Amino acid sequence: MGLRKLPWKITILLFAFILCLTMVLATGVGAVNVNPGEINKMLLSHLPFFSSWVVPDWSKVDETIIFEFRLPRVILAALAGASLALAGATFQGLFRNPMADPYVIGVSSGAVLGAAIAVIFSIDINIFGFSAVPLMAFLGALLTILIVYHIAKFGRKVAVLTLLLAGVVVSSLLSAVVSFLLFMSGEKLHQIIFWLMGSFSGRHWNYVLMGIPYFLLGMGAIFYYARELNVMLLGEESAQHLGVEVEKVKKVLLISASLLTATAVSGGGIIGFVGLIIPHIVRILVGPDHRILLPAVAFMGAISLVLADAIARIVLAPMEIPVGIITTLFGGPFFIYLLRQRKNAPL
Amino acid sequence: MCTGVLDVHEIFCSYGNTPILKGVNFSIPKGNFLGIIGPNGSGKSTILKTISRVLTPASGKVILLDQDINSITRVEMSRRLAVVPQETRIDFDFTVEEIVLMGRLPHLGKFKKESQRDFDLAREAMELTGTLHLAHRKITELSGGEKQRVIIARALTQEPEVILLDEPTSHLDINYQTEVLDLMKKLSRENQLTVVMVLHDLNMAAQYCDYLVLLSRGKVFAQGSPQEVMTAPNIKAVYNSDVIITNHPVNNRPMLIHLSKTDNSSSKKTDNISIHVVGGGGASSLLLQELVTFGYKVTCGVLNVGDSDWEKARALGIEIVAAPPFSAISETCYQKNLEFMKEADVVILASIPFGSGNLKNLEAVLEINSKNNSRSLIVLEEDDISKRDYTGGKASDIYHKLIKAKPSVVHSIKEVTTILGEMTL
Repeated sequence: MGLRKLPWKITILLFAFILCLTMVLATGVGAVNVNPGEINKMLLSHLPFFSSWVVPDWSKVDETIIFEFRLPRVILAALAGASLALAGATFQGLFRNPMADPYVIGVSSGAVLGAAIAVIFSIDINIFGFSAVPLMAFLGALLTILIVYHIAKFGRKVAVLTLLLAGVVVSSLLSAVVSFLLFMSGEKLHQIIFWLMGSFSGRHWNYVLMGIPYFLLGMGAIFYYARELNVMLLGEESAQHLGVEVEKVKKVLLISASLLTATAVSGGGIIGFVGLIIPHIVRILVGPDHRILLPAVAFMGAISLVLADAIARIVLAPMEIPVGIITTLFGGPFFIYLLRQRKNAPL
Repeated sequence: MCTGVLDVHEIFCSYGNTPILKGVNFSIPKGNFLGIIGPNGSGKSTILKTISRVLTPASGKVILLDQDINSITRVEMSRRLAVVPQETRIDFDFTVEEIVLMGRLPHLGKFKKESQRDFDLAREAMELTGTLHLAHRKITELSGGEKQRVIIARALTQEPEVILLDEPTSHLDINYQTEVLDLMKKLSRENQLTVVMVLHDLNMAAQYCDYLVLLSRGKVFAQGSPQEVMTAPNIKAVYNSDVIITNHPVNNRPMLIHLSKTDNSSSKKTDNISIHVVGGGGASSLLLQELVTFGYKVTCGVLNVGDSDWEKARALGIEIVAAPPFSAISETCYQKNLEFMKEADVVILASIPFGSGNLKNLEAVLEINSKNNSRSLIVLEEDDISKRDYTGGKASDIYHKLIKAKPSVVHSIKEVTTILGEMTL
C-alpha cells in the first residue's frame, strides 16, 4: 500500500503525530471529560520553558484527574501496546511465521504466572531497583519461551508448527496453575482477576517509571538487530551465510521479546491480539523490512492500545471495562478476516 | 600444501554416531568450476555445509583464501563466500530488490543505509541472472525458478570470491538450468569467481565443470578432469549402474548413457549367444541398442567410420568391422565381415538401404548363408527392398536370392527379439 513508497522518516513522523494526537484525545475522555485544548495548556504549563506563557484557567480537580490518573495510564497503555506489538513482530520474524505472538507462544501466560505469584505471595524484593511484579513476570516469560522452544526443538531444527502447538499447550498448563493460585488466593482474588482481564485502571506514575527501563532495553536490542531479523526470514542457514551469528541473535531477540511481553503484562495484565494483529496491519502498510516495520509497529501498537483503553473507559462510563476484552472483541474478528485474506495472498 | 582458493583438508564429520564424511580432501584453484557428484547419502551436501561453516567437522580443516575458516568471523567469511541453497522458503512479501540487497549485509556498517553502489551491485546481479524485470515484484509471487535466480543474484551481490551452490538447478526448467550453469561458467572464466557446485545430473557436471570430485560413502572416490572421473568403471563402482561413456558431439566432453538395469538381470542366459548385425546408415541403431541391453554378444559390420550406426555401435562398445568414411567396402573388409559372421551364432540383416558402396554387405550375407546352414539368418524387413535399393535392381536380385533360401524374415525389432528369445530357451 501507499506508505511503502514514502521515505522512512516521513512514515515515522506520520505515526508519531497520530500517536500524540491519540494520546491527547484519550487523556481527555472518561468519566470526566476534559477538552483537548485545556489538556494541551496543562501539559505546556508543566514544561519548564513554556510554563510562563500559560495562564492556569482550569480547575484544580481537572488537573489532578489529568495528571494523577489519566496521563499515567495513557502513557502506560502506549508503552504496553508498543511492547506487545514489538514482541509480536519479533516472534513472527524469529519463527518465520506470521501466526506467532506472545499470547500464542505462551510467553504471556508465563508472565502472568510470574506476576500472579508475586502478588499472591506478596513477594517484596528489589533487585537493581526492579520490584517483584515485573521481575517475576519477566522470569515467567523467559522460562516459558525457553521451555516452549526446547519442546519444539528436534536435533538442530525447530519446527514452527510444533512450536506453536507447544506454545498452546504450555500456555494452557500455565493458565491452570494460575487458576489454582487464584482458587487459593482468598481476599486477593478480585485484585488478580481484574488484572488478568487486562486493565490500566488505577495505574499511577510508578507503573510508568517501572516499565520504561524494560521497554527501552527490549526495544533497543530489537532495533539493533532489525537488519539481521530481515535476513533471518530467509532461513537460519541463509542468515549464517550472510554473516549473521544466528544463535546469538536468536537468544538476544528471544530475551528482548520476552522482556517486552513482561513489561506489558506487569503493566496491564493480559491483553490479547495486539501482538498478533498490529504487525500484520503494519506489514501491509509499510512492507516487511524490519528497519521500518519495527518502529512503525511500536507506534501502531501504542496508538491502538491507547484507543482501546479510551474505549474501555467511555462505553459504560462511569464504569470501566477491562481493556483486554476490548482488544479481543476487535482483534478476534479482524484476525479471522486476515486469515480469510491469506487464502488469496500470503502475508 | 595450500594451493587453491579453497582447500578442504582431511574432513571427518558425523551426524550423531553416523559418520558422514570420512576424510575428504580436495583443493580448488582460483576461477575454477568444481563439481561435486555422488549418489544420495554420499556426503555431497554435508561437505558444502562444512565449507560454509553451518556444520563443524569432527576433525579436519577448511582453508578459504589462506585462512582457516574457524579463525575468521562469520561476517568476514560471508564477504568471501556466498551460498545458494537448494531451496529458500520465504513467507514474507519482500520485493525482489529488497531480497537481493540483503546480500550487501556483510559489507554494510551497523546502522548504515545502502549506498548508490550497493544498489548498483544489486542491479548488476539482477541483470546477470535475468531478474531485473522482477525487481519490484514480491518474492512470494514468483515461481520456483524465478525465486532461485533471485537467490543467486543475492549471492552475487555479496561480491564473493567463492560461491557454493547446492543442486541449484533441481527446481528449474531445462532452459533455466543451462542458463544458470552458463552464467556460473561465465563468471568463473571472466570474473575469476570460484564455483563449487553439487550436481545431481552427471552429464551437466561433465559438460560444465573444470574439475570433478566424485564422492562415495563419505570419501573421495575419484577426482580430476571430467574425462578422468567420468569413466564407466567409476560410475559402476559408485552408482552400481551400467553406463556407456561417449563424447559430446560439440565439446567432446564425456557423456553418459544409462543402460537399463532390469533387462540385464533377466533370468535367461543371453550372453552365450553371439550375433553379427549387418547394418549401416542408421537403420540398425535401435536394433543394436536392443540387442546390447538384452545382453547378447554383438558384433557389427561393415560400417563406414562416422556413419550413425558406427557412432552407436562404438558407444555401445560393440566390435565393428569398419571401412573408411564414404568409401566402398574393400576386399579386406569384406573378408573380415565374413570372418565375423562365421563366428556368430546368428546373423541379422538389418533393414538397411543399399548403394553401390555397401552392396558387398548383401553379397557377404548371401555367401555365408549358402555355405553353412547351421547358422541362423534373420532378415529384418522394416521396408520393402524396392524402397531401399539404390543400385538399379542389383541389390533386389541378390536380396530375392537370399529370401529363396528361406531365412526367418521378420518386420519388427520386437519379432527379432522374440525369435532370439525362443532360441535361448
